[in-house]
Amino acid sequence: MDEDKELIQRTLNGEEEAFAMIIRKYQRPLFNYIGRMVGEREMALDFTQEVFVKTYSSLHTYKPQYKFRAWLFKIASNFIIDYWRKRKLDTFSFDQPHTWDQDRPSYEIPDNELSVVSKYELSQIRKKIENALGKIPPSLRELFVWRHINDFSYDEMAEIKDLPVGTIKNRVFQAKEMIRHILEEKP
Amino acid sequence: MNCLRVDQIYLYLEKELSPSETKGIEEHLVSCSKCQNAVAERRLLLRASESLPLWDPPADFSRQVMAHIFPDIFPDRVSIRKWIVASAVGFSSAALAFLAYFVFSGQSLLSFLTGLGRGALDLFRTVSVLVLKLVKLGSLLIRVIVRIFEILIQFFGHLTKMISPEMQIILITLTLILSVSLFFGVKRKYLTGEKA
Repeated sequence: MDEDKELIQRTLNGEEEAFAMIIRKYQRPLFNYIGRMVGEREMALDFTQEVFVKTYSSLHTYKPQYKFRAWLFKIASNFIIDYWRKRKLDTFSFDQPHTWDQDRPSYEIPDNELSVVSKYELSQIRKKIENALGKIPPSLRELFVWRHINDFSYDEMAEIKDLPVGTIKNRVFQAKEMIRHILEEKP
Repeated sequence: MNCLRVDQIYLYLEKELSPSETKGIEEHLVSCSKCQNAVAERRLLLRASESLPLWDPPADFSRQVMAHIFPDIFPDRVSIRKWIVASAVGFSSAALAFLAYFVFSGQSLLSFLTGLGRGALDLFRTVSVLVLKLVKLGSLLIRVIVRIFEILIQFFGHLTKMISPEMQIILITLTLILSVSLFFGVKRKYLTGEKA
């Protein structure tokens, strides 16, 4: 039995401290994911707390054949989608300045491709990526954050989103190319 | 091999391709400057993406969450601000009640305060005399205990010189056995009421 499953079993047996250990293990990655999705620290802290409360109350429904991390992030993802639905925000086009269909990144390397990223220092690129993250559709931002901030594998992301691995790979590629195109824009 | 596709470049950089696909790409890159530039560009983007600064939750975040889930077991710590507000409210209410009593009862506030001052002075005198006596008694007690220990150490020092090491071991063992049997005997007598 892996560490997570053991901690869940101990929590279900009434050992509250075991759940505190789960919180301490996942609070940082979960907070970073939610923080990047809502873009505001205080709101992200509240949401992270709510996700842990939800996780605790549905712990008895957890099936050990799934990875706990994937299950936890699925709860978090649904929580954020619900929040946007309640605020009547389209979960795909939220905060999206680009007309996605017209601006779909090309799979081919153009002959005269401009060097967008290479002209900046690494720290400048990081800042630009943070800004660009808020401008791409949330459904792509989520996958980008999981892949590059939370260090998820494509298989794990496919398990969370119930989508084929190929679709996930394609969407992460789209997210990165959109960010690269936004980096091209003048501030 | 034709020029690389952009999605292929990302998968190549993330080491998500099979060894044969990776080999094919590397062979193509040797002779294609357009693809070399495209790879360098995406490599930098990936490097920056993978080293974005992480946000840290507050140090007591897990405790806050636990207090939310289990309020009886993990009570939420009351903040200093809450303590200050509660104290200020309590003090103000007491002061208002105090003033209201003198306004409505018609008693003199000055004579009350004078009486209160005298009482406080008497109490201070009594308490200070008591504290001084306690300090004296405490220091005397410490001196007596220290002296007893000195005598005991001297006594055991002489005793070990007089008795051989083998005899010392026998004596210590006998003392231990005697103490343990005495302890259990007393316990049995008083807890179970068994007659000796």
